[in-house]
Amino acid sequence: MIEFQHVFKSYGQGRNILADISFRVAAGEFVYVAGPSGAGKSTLLKLIGGLEASSRGSIQVNGQKLEQLSARARPYLRRSVGVILQDTHLLYDRSVIENVLLPLTVTGLATEVARARARAALEKVGLSAKENVPPIELSGGEQQRLAIARAIVNRPAILIADEPTASLDKDTARRIMSVFKDFNRVGVTTVIASHDDALMADYATRAFKVEPGKFADSAARRPSSAPVQASVSGHIEPRLGGAA
Amino acid sequence: MKSLLRQHRYAMTVTLRRLLAQPISSLANLLVIALALALPLLGASLLISVEPVAKQVSVTPELTVFLKTDAASSAAEKLARRIRDEHPEQIVKVRVISKQSALEDLRANPAWEQALKVLPVNPLPDAIVVELAPGDDLAKRADQLANVLRKWPSVDLVQLDSAWVQRLEALLRFGRIGLLLLALSVMLVVLATVFNTVRMQALSQREEIGVARLVGATESFVRRPFLYLGALTCTFAALISLGIARLTLTPLNDALASLARTYDAEFALTLPTPPVLTACVVLVAVLGALSARWSVQRNTRF
Repeated sequence: MIEFQHVFKSYGQGRNILADISFRVAAGEFVYVAGPSGAGKSTLLKLIGGLEASSRGSIQVNGQKLEQLSARARPYLRRSVGVILQDTHLLYDRSVIENVLLPLTVTGLATEVARARARAALEKVGLSAKENVPPIELSGGEQQRLAIARAIVNRPAILIADEPTASLDKDTARRIMSVFKDFNRVGVTTVIASHDDALMADYATRAFKVEPGKFADSAARRPSSAPVQASVSGHIEPRLGGAA
Repeated sequence: MKSLLRQHRYAMTVTLRRLLAQPISSLANLLVIALALALPLLGASLLISVEPVAKQVSVTPELTVFLKTDAASSAAEKLARRIRDEHPEQIVKVRVISKQSALEDLRANPAWEQALKVLPVNPLPDAIVVELAPGDDLAKRADQLANVLRKWPSVDLVQLDSAWVQRLEALLRFGRIGLLLLALSVMLVVLATVFNTVRMQALSQREEIGVARLVGATESFVRRPFLYLGALTCTFAALISLGIARLTLTPLNDALASLARTYDAEFALTLPTPPVLTACVVLVAVLGALSARWSVQRNTRF
């Protein structure tokens, strides 16, 4: 579960990137965050992942209030949130499987168990045959899938992805989205930031529209599709579709 | 517990991989630290080898008063009594060594035995050994007393026996302070070298650190390989410095042995004992880890 209550985010003394945002995402939802570049989509995802702190307001992720979370406890929260950033941040001096193993190594999991889980994650994203290949030899779509495998290998409750299909062709983008949908079907809460409204409409059950100084939640118009209360300001983008 | 051990094993693997990834750079760092460490080690070897020589010789402040060879046989006893009476606060003990007992002592030495046999008379004088009371400005007091005694009749020569030992002691004190300063300077060199090595590594591993944090690595997990890097670099460097010191001492000892033989003596420079050397290696490793910790804390704030 993710809950934002009157959250503000600004950098230094600058203007608010996000202003007075409130929403609640229930466990197992598939939400996509739309909006123009610079509107604060990435910032919103980073706030959910605990990668950045809010300037004001309260954020609750998996029952933990992030503003009350100590610096020591923050890494443990990150293990329950799989993050895929716009730049995949893969380690190019390591093999595909070593990239996927990293989140498990961080937890101190036994090597054999970790390898088995990493292989299972690679199988889920269709990269089993390339586990010993360096990521530089993978295509853009494969690198994106590798980043997904790394994000889900720790079996997170929440998966957040920032523009995961931005640089991919249509078919590859759909394959990537299917992977996300598969994880969502088994109960992983999924939040994806994207420019591609048409693509997202086929997979997401709910949309947030972020614009400079504005935030809208489609659930306010379609309460049946998202059984949550959400504060609404600005206009609403009611582009919703069923699961693919 | 097992999980922590696995994380340490991972940190060690990462550290060795990073060291081996840049072999020339790693080796250069090791040599710089090793050469720096070898200097105080050689200094310590010199000091601990010379110190026993100083200890063997009495450092008790003494004056030896030699009487004229033609002085009466009772003159020594009289003079000893006079010294005791006139300078009671400055002396601890006065001992008379008669010319006869000195001659017997010499005869006991086979090297002198033959030479003394050809002499018609005993050429040695009576002597009085005056042990001075210890305290401040001893050298000055000893000098003053020697000047007084030199003016007494029947006195031929007054010799400050302990002067050269005191000079050696002073030299050793100077050496110890010099060695301490050198060790402190070397510590700074080690700190700076490890700090910079870790800084460069942290900057080159920026991406990896970012990814590790992204997937939930704690700061301890991120820092651990760098601490190992500092500790391992210093341990290897300390071991290399031991090798360098040992190699350096071999030709030096050969040369010293030749010199010492001319004085019918034996002398060799030796490294400190194994427990001391082990403690030094551990100390240097801890120093490396601390420096790495300081560096990684400062250079991974991104």
